[in-house]
Amino acid sequence: MDSLQSYLIIAAILFSMGIYGVITRKNAVAILMGIELILNSANINFIAFNRFGGMENLDGHVFSIFVIVLAAAEAAVALAIVINLFKNIGSVDVDDADLLQG
Amino acid sequence: MAENLFIIIAALVIASAFWVVFSPNLIHSAVSLIFTLFSTAGLYIFLYADFIAATQVVIYVGGILVLIIFGVMLTNSIDTPSIAASSKNQFIGGMGALTIFVIQVAVIFNTPWHIGTEQSRDSTVASIGNLLLNEYLLPFEIISILLLAALMGAALLSRRT
Amino acid sequence: MSNLSSLSFYIPELIIIIAILLVIVLDVIPVCKKYTFPLSLGAILLASVFLWQSYGESHGLFMGMISIDPFSHFFKMIFLLSTFSIILISRYEKQLDSNYSAEYNALLLIVLLGMFLMSSSINLIMIYLSIELVSIPSYILAGMLKNDKESNEASLKYVIFGSFASGLMLFGLSILYGITGSTDIGVVTAALQAIEYPLSIYFPLILILVGFGYKISMVPFHFWTPDVYEGAPTPITAFLSVAPKAAGFAILIRVFYTMFTLEGSVSATLPLTNINWPTLIAVASAVTMTLGNLLAVQQEDVKRLLAYSTISHVGFMLMAFAIISPDAVRAIMLYLFIYLFMNLSAFYMAIFASNKLNAHHINDWDGLSRKNPVLCAFMALTLISLTGLPPTAGFVGKFYIFAELFKHQQFYWLAVVAILNSVVSLYYYFKIIKSMYLVDVEGEVNKIEAHPVVNWSIILFSAQNILFFIYWEPLIGFIEKSINLWSG
Repeated sequence: MDSLQSYLIIAAILFSMGIYGVITRKNAVAILMGIELILNSANINFIAFNRFGGMENLDGHVFSIFVIVLAAAEAAVALAIVINLFKNIGSVDVDDADLLQG
Repeated sequence: MAENLFIIIAALVIASAFWVVFSPNLIHSAVSLIFTLFSTAGLYIFLYADFIAATQVVIYVGGILVLIIFGVMLTNSIDTPSIAASSKNQFIGGMGALTIFVIQVAVIFNTPWHIGTEQSRDSTVASIGNLLLNEYLLPFEIISILLLAALMGAALLSRRT
Repeated sequence: MSNLSSLSFYIPELIIIIAILLVIVLDVIPVCKKYTFPLSLGAILLASVFLWQSYGESHGLFMGMISIDPFSHFFKMIFLLSTFSIILISRYEKQLDSNYSAEYNALLLIVLLGMFLMSSSINLIMIYLSIELVSIPSYILAGMLKNDKESNEASLKYVIFGSFASGLMLFGLSILYGITGSTDIGVVTAALQAIEYPLSIYFPLILILVGFGYKISMVPFHFWTPDVYEGAPTPITAFLSVAPKAAGFAILIRVFYTMFTLEGSVSATLPLTNINWPTLIAVASAVTMTLGNLLAVQQEDVKRLLAYSTISHVGFMLMAFAIISPDAVRAIMLYLFIYLFMNLSAFYMAIFASNKLNAHHINDWDGLSRKNPVLCAFMALTLISLTGLPPTAGFVGKFYIFAELFKHQQFYWLAVVAILNSVVSLYYYFKIIKSMYLVDVEGEVNKIEAHPVVNWSIILFSAQNILFFIYWEPLIGFIEKSINLWSG
């Protein structure tokens, strides 16, 4: 049960869930949660490939660390933008921000 | 025993991921994201990635998720008891996600992945530190500038003036 | 090359990093606050001097993370020139709050550093990091006008779409890592040649194309472009329409020519067996050109019209990207260089009009030729060049791209689409010229002067349209010497 394919399937499910979350949700913070799911699925991929790939070095782990740090930076900036928008418009619903058409 | 534990943790990851995107209540989504990230750390332990599991718990759950919960709380009025996160485009989103999942399963089972014998090591921390200061020194330094940019930007946008 | 010995080849980037840190530190000390602006400009000049000195060398630095070669050198000159000009113009833009000018300049310098790295990355980690290093400050710069609702909305849409696209690209990179077991582009290339199941290469290719396509506004990943370009402050729109697009093309050419072609180098002529991505790019190019033009035709606002028209220019460049040959790379690089000057001078004219006249609508530009004849003449020259008529440099750029299609005898239908699109673009560019010259304004007409910096920027950038029509031979020669990717 503990094979490479099972980890990849878990990552694939998380990836598809993340895409569904980003496409269907209207609340900006909920969309951010979907993006975090996508980044986590890529992380699981990296670590699983590193474990079953038989490589000497831990490239996948290092890549994973960079992705975690980058997700933190992106979440901080995204939430700052969302809060700035909330101060001006009063809602974080993506449909309510429609001053710019197209 | 280890088999059953793996199945339980995998089921927890998938179930909480489902609840993150399907729950109508935003606070429920945030809390189930906590469960997803914790269980993913459990998966990392199964993959012998001890440092990454600890980093995941400390930074992802302890940092990013707290920030997201702050974001949820600050952007909704406090007197509404349930915070709704309504959905639209459910059919297109569902079809899209399903298509991508089917393509991925085809890729997973047909690709000749790079497979080798599994290395056994005591702990990954020493090797990761070695890599960060030798091969991956440039990305390590560059990501510090990226964090500087994120810090500056977030402070700039949230300031009162 | 080991880390310590790489430092001597890394000097332009080091100068920019030191400038970023100094700008932030000097902003905190009240007595030194006014030195941040000349410091940023001086650092860019110093970096370009050091860049020129080291032209022609070709190395892989920092243990295979980035490569310094003539290809990246050419693109770095484009980035330095555009950032210098934008930092200079932003100082005289009324919308931007001058309290935040130091953070603004520091963020622009960080984007510059990210673009430098984008044009030279040869490792999967560096590709992802450099794209994020360009994107994250851009999200903040687009939302710089904190009290303007349109700016807030622009940065929200930008951050959501950008994070989504780079998350998808990261997943594609993880699949490539799994197939090959290494993060180095050269090793990935060698392993991809041996895969027989086509879907396992198509899937990461499409995902990586999502990430790169979002950066260059290729359809269908262009949805952020109209909103962000309209809501962001005008200097940032000008910057985003030129420099990150050039960086996106640089990394697109490098990655696709190295990883997804049979020969694995810039002199390749065939894609990987059974992976027919040139047709995919050709279709995307046709749709991009047409959609950009259709959107621009309906516009009445000058800034929005210029912004939508940049999408059609990207579609044009993608037309050459669908052909795999070094001559096609030469055509793209030439067009990017000329496009920099055309686009920046057009946007600066829009900045002048909105600052001095509060003119946003095309009708507000009526009779502008009597208020400032010199600048309007140069603006007309720029608009003719954007359409691609002779005798301007825009014609030279378009000519080289069309020549690629006919030389390789592929995708003739694409050439027809492109010619039709050029005719459509003639209509909306000439709407502006007609408003400036042919519509009369009654009553007193006062002459309006632009600030000398804005004035001379418009004149100098627009004069290049004639200059490069006459002297395009040396430019082509320089570009041909620059098509040289380091490998091995």
